Amino acid sequence: MSLSKETLVVVPCSGIGKPFGSVTREAAYDLCDELRPESTRLVALAKLVLGDPDARALVAKHRAVTIDGCKQMCAAEMVREIGGPVAREVAVLDVFRRHKDLKPEGISELNEAGRKLARVLAEEVAQSLDDAVQPVKGADHV
Amino acid sequence: MSEVPERKVGIVSCSGEELAEGTVARLAALKVLNELRPRDTVTICLPLFLAGGVGDRVFARLHPTITVDGCDLRCAARGTEKHSSKPAASVVVNELLARCGLERPEGRRRLNAAGQKAVQVTAERLAALVDQALGREAGTTASNDAAVHEPDGDRREATCSCGSGVPVTKIIIDGQAVELVALALIFQQFCEMGRRLDERSQRELFETVKIYNAVPPEAEGSYREAVLREYAAFCHGKKKG
Repeated sequence: MSLSKETLVVVPCSGIGKPFGSVTREAAYDLCDELRPESTRLVALAKLVLGDPDARALVAKHRAVTIDGCKQMCAAEMVREIGGPVAREVAVLDVFRRHKDLKPEGISELNEAGRKLARVLAEEVAQSLDDAVQPVKGADHV
Repeated sequence: MSEVPERKVGIVSCSGEELAEGTVARLAALKVLNELRPRDTVTICLPLFLAGGVGDRVFARLHPTITVDGCDLRCAARGTEKHSSKPAASVVVNELLARCGLERPEGRRRLNAAGQKAVQVTAERLAALVDQALGREAGTTASNDAAVHEPDGDRREATCSCGSGVPVTKIIIDGQAVELVALALIFQQFCEMGRRLDERSQRELFETVKIYNAVPPEAEGSYREAVLREYAAFCHGKKKG
């Protein structure tokens, strides 16, 4: 797949131990499959962890949106380590604090609130990317 | 009383978002963790081996691990070996499905029927490997019974290793500083049980240490000697203190 210069790579943590990890995964699918399919590309964090050269090259070349489910911020840490340009670092917990009614539950199968939280997060990211005139490296959490 | 952590199997899934097989790996791991072997398993986020602290890396050394990957890249298996220790067993979803003559799954976000079947088959394979890793006959575990009898509302969520802290002790073995996990807890437990350093206790102490630490076969004698020396010092310190 050839990517334009403006393509963003999206890296969710997909943490497996907590519902917030599933929210990152769902939000990434919302963003890449539905909201901005032409301008985003999903990259599996596991590949980056392993040092897969193709995945690392994508992250090094294109601006990245990282979405993390816990304070460890694994996705953001990984992208920073690679040294690629960062468009947004998003922490699900920050979004949840603003949408306390959307409490995610279930890891295998997110509840409706969890899916809505993912959608809200994805829409906020999509909107902020549209609004951004200049990307800011190390942008604050949403 | 401090207790040596119960021996459990760590399940590490690639969770690869790009392929349906990655979703199968993730859901199969969760099925084992939540339904098939809830009391015997814990999970570890693969990225934590890099982003996490010492405690996270030590966690995987403390427990035997089984990895499940969606594709031939084997990110979970290779990552676990690279950043922690060699997995006790590994499953690759696409290889397993090919061996079983099953269709490839589709729908990385929402699996199709072939994907659901793949989750079931992969989870059953993982559960059998968990039993093997714990030295049990497949299908006869207490956790199996629990899964059958516990109402859905009592199902356990997957246990996550985030923030797990396991004590590490550095000891000198053959002139080299070597990190051993859970040594202090094991010593404490043996000491509180009043175990002396007779031949049987020595053997059991060292076998317990080996459960939680990888001991190179060629260096077993040196490890044993060092562990027993440290235990003697530990007991001596307790008496004085």
